Amino acid sequence: MQRIRAHLISAPSTEARDRCRDRLRASAVASGSLLALALIALPLAADAQGATPAAQGAASAPAASASATTANFAPNDPPGEWHSQARDYANTRFSPLADVNAGNVSRLKVAWTFADGTQNGHEAAPLVLDNTMYLVTPFPNISYALDLTKAGAPIKWSYAPNPTPVAIGKACCDTVNRGGAYANGKIIYNLLDMHTIAVDAKTGKEVWRTKMGDVTHGETMTMAPLVVGNKVYVGNSGGELGVWGWLAALDVDTGKELWRAYSTGTDEQVKIGPDFKPFYSWMKGKDLGKTSWPPGMDRTGAGSVWAWVSYDPETNLIYYGTSNPSPRVPAQRPGYNLWTSAIFARDATTGMAKWAYQFTPHDQWDYDGVNENVLIDVNFQGKPRKALIHFDRNAFAYLMDRTTGEVLSAEPFAYQNWSKGIDLKTGMPIVVPEMQPRPNVKLPNVCPPDIGGKDWQPSAFSPRTGLVYAGIFNICMDVTDHPQSYIAGTPYDGMEMKRFAAPGGNWGEFMAWDPVAGKKVWSIKEKFMTMSGALATAGDIVFYGTADGWFRAVDARSGKVLWSYKLGSGVIGQPMTYLGPDKRQYVAVYSGVGGAAMVSSKMPGFPPRGGTLYVFSIDGESPHSAAGMLQTEGGAAAARQDQGMGGKP
Amino acid sequence: MSITRRAGALALVGAGALLLASCGRSEGDSTTAAPPQASPSMEAIAAVPLGDLAGAAESHLAATIPNPYRDDPQAAQQGHELFVRMNCAGCHGYGATGGMGPNLTDAYWRYGGAPVQIFKSIHDGRPQGMPAWNPALPPQEIWKLVAYIQSLGGSYSAGQFQASLQGDRAGDNVAPEVQPTLSGAAASAPTAKGADNSSANAEARPDAGGPPPTGKP
Repeated sequence: MQRIRAHLISAPSTEARDRCRDRLRASAVASGSLLALALIALPLAADAQGATPAAQGAASAPAASASATTANFAPNDPPGEWHSQARDYANTRFSPLADVNAGNVSRLKVAWTFADGTQNGHEAAPLVLDNTMYLVTPFPNISYALDLTKAGAPIKWSYAPNPTPVAIGKACCDTVNRGGAYANGKIIYNLLDMHTIAVDAKTGKEVWRTKMGDVTHGETMTMAPLVVGNKVYVGNSGGELGVWGWLAALDVDTGKELWRAYSTGTDEQVKIGPDFKPFYSWMKGKDLGKTSWPPGMDRTGAGSVWAWVSYDPETNLIYYGTSNPSPRVPAQRPGYNLWTSAIFARDATTGMAKWAYQFTPHDQWDYDGVNENVLIDVNFQGKPRKALIHFDRNAFAYLMDRTTGEVLSAEPFAYQNWSKGIDLKTGMPIVVPEMQPRPNVKLPNVCPPDIGGKDWQPSAFSPRTGLVYAGIFNICMDVTDHPQSYIAGTPYDGMEMKRFAAPGGNWGEFMAWDPVAGKKVWSIKEKFMTMSGALATAGDIVFYGTADGWFRAVDARSGKVLWSYKLGSGVIGQPMTYLGPDKRQYVAVYSGVGGAAMVSSKMPGFPPRGGTLYVFSIDGESPHSAAGMLQTEGGAAAARQDQGMGGKP
Repeated sequence: MSITRRAGALALVGAGALLLASCGRSEGDSTTAAPPQASPSMEAIAAVPLGDLAGAAESHLAATIPNPYRDDPQAAQQGHELFVRMNCAGCHGYGATGGMGPNLTDAYWRYGGAPVQIFKSIHDGRPQGMPAWNPALPPQEIWKLVAYIQSLGGSYSAGQFQASLQGDRAGDNVAPEVQPTLSGAAASAPTAKGADNSSANAEARPDAGGPPPTGKP
């Protein structure tokens, strides 16, 4: 192993390295040797360190761990449809559609577009079912149903729920929304002003609206609900405003709250009982969500739940992460600050915690633990494991046993200098003492910064390659902590930051990660932030977008960029794909920069805001364009023309 | 509005200011020195309109109220400390160049950029999430925050309510047909980076609102 690695890294040319890698791949595939398969990751990872995009010109080859790593694609929605933001409970964002593939993807052209009239960060994916597309906009959180069977995809209905504008100023990071979920005839989504609503998918009439909190105290909602059976899981945002974080289950048909589990506080509040079995001893004990804080601070300690929920039907467990602790000045809150910057596994029915794990104890850098947990089944060190892969903001990729909470491996996927690694015996990160900020002292060059080595933008998993694909960051910060007082409805924050590119100069990168080897397989460096979700398809194509507005299609195995298309605004949304009524495969993504990508908005070339959905097909063919005059048929008018941007018509 | 009417209204504002300043001190809620100038009355401040109130030209006069801490660098410094301590920086940024909340260093003001308008935005709060800082902060502390914001250069001077409303900047060309409305005030366009020399500007420009040019759109 040592010999091979040395040889490969010292290879004199890219060509020689590629030849050698291909030989290794071939031999590994032929022998079926898992050890050999694991070895392949080494030279591939070396590629990723190159100054130029590692993937450019690389040969297509079978992926290493294709046979070993799988996922459960329940609820197994029709292949051409997309019912939830992640498409499946496991959060794979994998589509079985394969009509668009390496042979024709370069012929993708715009088939049709839809401008939703709002201008803030567009972080959602459209949903498609029953030949209808459903969209949810950023504030003022308008929803649309578009009729895909008619020329021009006219509006079937649109609904303006009119959240209060107070919410605009309480949202830390733009007035975003990460989309809706379809369940039982309803589109369910969260309003920025702390209400969850259900809208009748056929009529656009509101079915129920549940008030989940008080926006004037700094709570907002931006996450996409997950629906399992008759329950919809929602959580709050506001980790920068000293909220009390929680996840709640509502009844799908009535909106009635069934239970709520706080992220901090007593065991009763956190829904920790006799079944709670964290893997590591330092997370065992009574009321740790309260006692790991200075007295009283747990109630304003955040741990908000603002991103993704996964679900495992076999064990009936849900998985989700919690945000940073508040205030963001660590000197004010000695202790581990459980259960912030952590992951929970809970019984989906009762909400009782099964296990938890804190990625970043006593988080000093705003490393929220909210990023997606992709549930995959792996063969790890010769044993099958029910696992999850989680790319944390703290820049480590955690492969965990999802039944026990054991960390199987934790390897850095992005540039970082706050830690020497994760001690797998204790599950504790080894913190670099010099990288711990002190009040009122500027600490230069901490990597990654508050928004992490990767933020909420979700990764995608392909069972055909065994790889996980993700947009990641290459950013550092200078940070000065200013101690804060809690004042309801204002930031309980205190981090003054200047962010800049880490070594290499690129702010973004799109990577393929081997979850079993814990290695980067290939990567594409991007000048701008890669803050879009990823989409993987059975056509062995991976899609992602950039903050400056490029939408790209990449060979899932080699990382070769096969197609790029410049959109009107930047991409921070989540690409998805569907079959139209004409049985054609379409790929859709929102263009509308905003959200945390605005930390780079001073970069030359940074685009203006926008709010347009782009839908692509091979050669741009669709019922929405043809020779001669097509006209919009029937439908409804857009619900609200001022779109909350001020001024009524 | 005639010069006489305007002067009379100004005198009333001044009298009210003296009254309230003494009230404020008697409450003992200020931890720092009293402002060098008399504090304006809350009644006068209450009359400052939010934007362009049609037919309420007289109330525009109140928008000429100056910051009692004008020309006081120490107050601006104390305002900066408040800006960080009261979590303002969390929204508006540590350089006040914006974040969750708007940039306070440029000349774009959603609710007006004259000192008393900024005071009101802090005191009363604003609809898109700006909290009301009354009564958490006494008026003198709010004026210090205004002094800090003025020191950043993006605000308009007192008396330039109309300039703020109409989006005028220092050095703007003025179309000939607009000149009559500015009668004798051509030199008083706001200085976006200027100091608060408010009283002079209040006199130089009819910011309380002159009559529109009759017969013209």
